[in-house]
Amino acid sequence: MDPTDQEYVKQCRNGHPDDFRFLVQRYQRPLFAYLAHRLRDHSQAEEAAQESFVRAFFALAKLNKPESFHSWLIGIAARVVHEFQRTAKRRVETSASTEAVAVESAGEREEYVLDEAIAALPESQREVILLRYYEGLSCQQVADRLRTPVGTVTKNLSRAYAGLRQSVQSQPPAERSSEHELR
Amino acid sequence: MNCDDCQENLVANLEGVLDPQTAADCRQHVEECPACQSVEEATFKLHQELLGRGQAASRVSLVGSVMGRIRDERPKQAAEANPDGGAIFGKIFARWALALGTAAAAIVLTILLALPRTQATADEVLAKGAQAVANLTSIHFRGQLRTAPADNFSYINPEADFCTIELWEQFKPELKWRAEKPGRVLVMNGRSTVMLMKSNDSAVKIPQRTASAFDTEWLHRIANLSKTINNELNNARAKGWKLDLAEGTGADGTLKSIVTIMAKSDVPDNDYVKNSFFENADTRRVYTFDKQSELLETVQIYLTRPSGEVKIFDIDQIDYNQAIDASIWNLELPADVTWAQLEPPKLPDNRKYASMTAEQAARAFLEACAGEDWNEAGKFMSPITPDVKQYLGGLKIVSLGKPFTSTVYPGVFVPYEIELRPQEINVRVSNANAAKRCVVTGIYDSKLHLQQDLKGATTEPETLSDNDARLSPAQTVQAYFDAQSKFDWVEMRKFTSESDVAETKSQIEMAKKLGMDVQKLMPVVEVGQATWSADQSAWFVKCSMSQTKKWNLAVRKDNPAGRWQVDGGI
Repeated sequence: MDPTDQEYVKQCRNGHPDDFRFLVQRYQRPLFAYLAHRLRDHSQAEEAAQESFVRAFFALAKLNKPESFHSWLIGIAARVVHEFQRTAKRRVETSASTEAVAVESAGEREEYVLDEAIAALPESQREVILLRYYEGLSCQQVADRLRTPVGTVTKNLSRAYAGLRQSVQSQPPAERSSEHELR
Repeated sequence: MNCDDCQENLVANLEGVLDPQTAADCRQHVEECPACQSVEEATFKLHQELLGRGQAASRVSLVGSVMGRIRDERPKQAAEANPDGGAIFGKIFARWALALGTAAAAIVLTILLALPRTQATADEVLAKGAQAVANLTSIHFRGQLRTAPADNFSYINPEADFCTIELWEQFKPELKWRAEKPGRVLVMNGRSTVMLMKSNDSAVKIPQRTASAFDTEWLHRIANLSKTINNELNNARAKGWKLDLAEGTGADGTLKSIVTIMAKSDVPDNDYVKNSFFENADTRRVYTFDKQSELLETVQIYLTRPSGEVKIFDIDQIDYNQAIDASIWNLELPADVTWAQLEPPKLPDNRKYASMTAEQAARAFLEACAGEDWNEAGKFMSPITPDVKQYLGGLKIVSLGKPFTSTVYPGVFVPYEIELRPQEINVRVSNANAAKRCVVTGIYDSKLHLQQDLKGATTEPETLSDNDARLSPAQTVQAYFDAQSKFDWVEMRKFTSESDVAETKSQIEMAKKLGMDVQKLMPVVEVGQATWSADQSAWFVKCSMSQTKKWNLAVRKDNPAGRWQVDGGI
């Protein structure tokens, strides 16, 4: 079984900074998906994802709950999104363009609320979602990777689905509270 | 089954991993329970959402760029955040401080101790190569790949001949790309993505722009050279792949840096698809950079197997930042093109199909072909072209085996053995040669459309010591197929061209390597009457050809309708 986020964070803090690559490997796709929904531009999303990871690395010492690394990372990314959007707005204002800065619709918010909800799932459920959908593994392959029966994988997926459905229905889009850890 | 049990099983059912009885119970409950129907719909929608997210992000690869930036920014951040070398930062940076510390002596010492000298230099060459192509506006490259001409873009086969494969990609001002191999052309013109499969004049369309589609991801990775080179470097470091550097001189006398990487895929050796696709193969990759410009000039990739190495891919032309003619983004389609469904729609009776096992779906598809019920067969495969109808119509199922999976394929393989309906063929025979012997000069279908022209390739048959000019056209055809079925290439050569023998031999060898039962594969031919054609100055011998096929049907159900679709192995 792969080490947990907590273990990787601990390794980074204990003088093995190169282990941060495994956290990048694990979260680059979900983070990109979140940023692509928020920025609606793939190239900007890639840039913002890179920026978010770099900031996360340099803020690792301030992360209180290493097991919530993903959720914390999304919080950092939300802040990066604001900065990107502010810069874009300033550029529009400076150039006196008639084009309006895109206003985020409710539909767009719904799209990234799901990304935030994934980040907030319990680790066992989040892990199967990431492996199944972002690593593209089948349920059997996820089971092999985690060395658990396939039934455990589908149970965790099922619980994750229930949690995600509930979050998407009830959670208003908001900045993550964990963001304060950065300040 | 109650609602809780049913809802807990919905995902497993959607994923096709539920046992048939529980799947049936679950289906029955859903059909009778509006609450569970609603949960099922929401589950399905969420499943699609998540699949879409995963696919959209599948090309993202940030490890190299993030770790590179962290290394670059580390000294500045460390100094600002921790001028006195405080505990936590000190620990985080301890390892890199050893490798990349500010004292020059430490750098030299660490590199010398940690890495062989050549490896450090190979790293540098790769890093500079990535930098040299960091801001491309376009790229075009052409290479030779050992593959089947009409198969998937990433399919490799070390026994196959080389095919030309080409990619044009424009990054700025707008992303457009075209990938081409002999049997397939794929164009993304900035608005939509269309692939034409020339072998059966069928096409498939994604009505939007894509960065990669239809199994071309590996080509785009090469096109995105900067990332590719960084990825190679990162993988070499993370997975311990061996890196080597050599220097050489090009034909024009310029100096070259040659980096060799021994890449090992994570796929187990006994996996069914190991070494069939680029991503699943163990390879030795050789990158040649021009020493002065630092640009990548050629790439050679060798498949490394216990039995030895074989070159499978060779890029010999790379054009950087050249204007790409607008006509490249046009794709001319045949007037009678058959459009394949991008994804199967949900059927009114979708549940019946969604609850099938892989084996049940394979059987249902083959039975539909046997009964020539093309509407039903179309529920499992798209498109059903005239070729498919001709080939599979009227087949007989001999047996289906135990399904199996691969660690890297999201579907299931179902072994099958079928008898194909006898097909009428016409074999052209001529004795207009110096030896005055009848030889086979062409194969035609039932409507006398030429399928294989052997005339042009036939050299004059030698006069043999047992030269029997008395063999009739029909006897010649019989002898030709008899020799073929016995794999008697010397005998076969007496009745056909050298290239026909070589091609047949190569196909048999390839089938053997793929694990096919070649004895069963060989067609059984009943030779009929010969008719003289004055137009062609040759005889046409009518034959009936029957064939058994034993192979593995690839089926998958990761589509919006959750139904099994035939994905390959026909």
